[in-house]
Amino acid sequence: MDYFVNVTLTGLTQGMIYAAFALALVLIWRSTRIVNFAQGSMAAATTFIALALIQAGASYWVALIVALASGFVLGAIVERVIIRPVEGGPELNAVIVTLGLFVAIQAGIAIIFGSSFQSFPTPFGVRGFEVGDTTIPLTPTSLYIIGSVLIVMALLVALFRFTRVGLAMRASAFSQEVARLLGVKVGGMLTLGWGLAAVVGSLSGLLIAGGTFVWPAYMDALIVFGFVAAIIGGLDSPVGAIVGGLILGLALSYVSGYAPRGSALVNISALVILIVVLLVRPGGLFSSTTARRA
Amino acid sequence: MSRSSRRLLTAVAAATVASTLAACGGGDEGGGGTSAEGGENEASDIGVTETSIKLGAHYPLTGVAAPGYSEIPTGVAAYFECLNQEGGVYGRDVEFVYKDDAYNPTQTAQVTNELVLDEEIFAMMSGLGTPTHSAVVDFLNDEGVPDLFVSSGSLLWGENPEEYPMSFGWQTDYESEGKIIGEYIAENFPDAKVGLFLQDDDFGEDGEAGIRQYIDDQIVAAERYTPGNTNVGPQIAALQAAGADFVVGFNVPSYTALSQLTALQLGYDPQWFYSNVGSDPTLVGGLLNRFSEGKVTDAALLDGALTTGYLPTVDQTDNPWIQEFSRIWDECGGEGELTNYRVYGMSQAYTMAQALQAAGQNPTREGLVEAVEQAGSEWEGPVFAPFRYSEDSHMGTSGMSIERIVGNGSEVVQEVRTTDIGDAPIEEFDQEPATPPANAIPDEEAVN
Repeated sequence: MDYFVNVTLTGLTQGMIYAAFALALVLIWRSTRIVNFAQGSMAAATTFIALALIQAGASYWVALIVALASGFVLGAIVERVIIRPVEGGPELNAVIVTLGLFVAIQAGIAIIFGSSFQSFPTPFGVRGFEVGDTTIPLTPTSLYIIGSVLIVMALLVALFRFTRVGLAMRASAFSQEVARLLGVKVGGMLTLGWGLAAVVGSLSGLLIAGGTFVWPAYMDALIVFGFVAAIIGGLDSPVGAIVGGLILGLALSYVSGYAPRGSALVNISALVILIVVLLVRPGGLFSSTTARRA
Repeated sequence: MSRSSRRLLTAVAAATVASTLAACGGGDEGGGGTSAEGGENEASDIGVTETSIKLGAHYPLTGVAAPGYSEIPTGVAAYFECLNQEGGVYGRDVEFVYKDDAYNPTQTAQVTNELVLDEEIFAMMSGLGTPTHSAVVDFLNDEGVPDLFVSSGSLLWGENPEEYPMSFGWQTDYESEGKIIGEYIAENFPDAKVGLFLQDDDFGEDGEAGIRQYIDDQIVAAERYTPGNTNVGPQIAALQAAGADFVVGFNVPSYTALSQLTALQLGYDPQWFYSNVGSDPTLVGGLLNRFSEGKVTDAALLDGALTTGYLPTVDQTDNPWIQEFSRIWDECGGEGELTNYRVYGMSQAYTMAQALQAAGQNPTREGLVEAVEQAGSEWEGPVFAPFRYSEDSHMGTSGMSIERIVGNGSEVVQEVRTTDIGDAPIEEFDQEPATPPANAIPDEEAVN
């Protein structure tokens, strides 16, 4: 029974990490209708900026704010300089450009910050809470991760549902020409969308890094799981991203914990889950009506 | 272009140069700590010129296996740099070319192709990793490239010389290590409930096979992790749930840190025993101590853990090998401190220098392999116990001590014992440790 609880809690924490990354993907999809494969290495880049600051003596919170701000700037620059020229062409062009960007940024990190394996601090403890006389694998750091992801999700829902900017961003992503006719500054909205998505991506990068190890490619595995989580959730819904992340995290933890040689089956299982979900509900669990799909 | 025609070209070119040199009455007398035979240096094989020998290797310089391991080639390079300053081997400079494979077998295959076909190395030495080197061992043997001193304790390189005539192991193999660990637990912790934390490949399998020979009935759980999957929560939780109070890890260093971190989350505190590969206290402590700004205090997490040793370690500052290696690192090394991984690299380079000397003034690839088979078991060096090299075995050193980690160093709790694979018995080893020759440069006679 203890073992079940341990495996479950490990899965929940991992699932929230996948959800954090999935949220960033959902945001950029909703605001620009592009799947951004470079999201992972952009997040890694800002994480390394934060790590450099922490190593230079800055506090975690200062580093966090700087990382989020540089994430916004990086996202905006990428949109203006690299994505803008291919926008409006076939959708595939932009996606391929983000793939190239993914590799280029990762190489850039290795050149600037080195490729060594380093530990990344967390502001909270990494010891599990004690319940009675047992310790459960839920740490202050896991609570920090879970809390941050839930807050970000709530902010995103609020942004898209209740603000004019959110509405304008959705409109620009959905149909640029119509939005423009209605007086929306589409270019600005797209830049804003990329900037915000990069902020959320940077936050997820920092949350994932906290209390574990980073190297330039540390986001690689999470990119895959984050994509799967986002797609399970429908790629369109912040709540779906969280649910998708949790489903994936729990399922993979159970596979790893209960299947024989489970650790080796984790990556395959993620793919199986993805295929099953897409077969049963092609638009993902939380997709809106098919008519809305671009 | 076929290999043989390229070889012919090289030979013709070399002969031309050699005869020109002879005509001028020039030619470098050999030497540099070795007895010259008085002949001329010739470009006797691929990768050998009158003035240099080119060696190659692959290491994880980036990625999850890089911590620690990426320091090994800097140790090798520092040793060869100092060796070259003293005249190299028979007057030839040793060139050492190494490439990053990120512990990814696909990349290992690619960089090994580059080393063999583009760089035209004479021999591979110290290529690191079981899954990685497995991907290239057939290629190297098919091409006839000597594949010396693989940085992995897998049995694959040495067990069957008929299958892989060019490959040689170097460090104690994981099965022998498992046997020595198993015997130690049976003798000293007969009541322990033992859990195994294993890398899910030959590394973990060989270690498990060895340890089960002695304590099969004490083992309550065997959990496997896949390298690259950094979430080991379910595995550590399973060891805890099985009631293991003594955990033996056959894992790489980053997974020592991950297993410690996960155990901390779970409030799990067994007696840890990490096999030699994953136990460097400085490295693991360095990875752990920055977490959570002091909440995981320092290297103390590993304090009291047991491990094995087959080489002197940097904390043993009164060991003459460590003193020589410190000097070499100061004079010929790069940035940073001398670490146990650099000592490992230098020790391999020392054995390589012995092999090159034994292969004679004008070495060939076949001659190098023969030299190791004929003379290798006699070579003394920093490793505690002798190598098992012969025509029938290409296995490396055979013995290990057992040590307890204290701070950043360790204390011996059981002196060196030696064994071999299979059901070979474990024996105490009472030979005096070798002392380094002048400048830590060996002086082996040519065997052919």
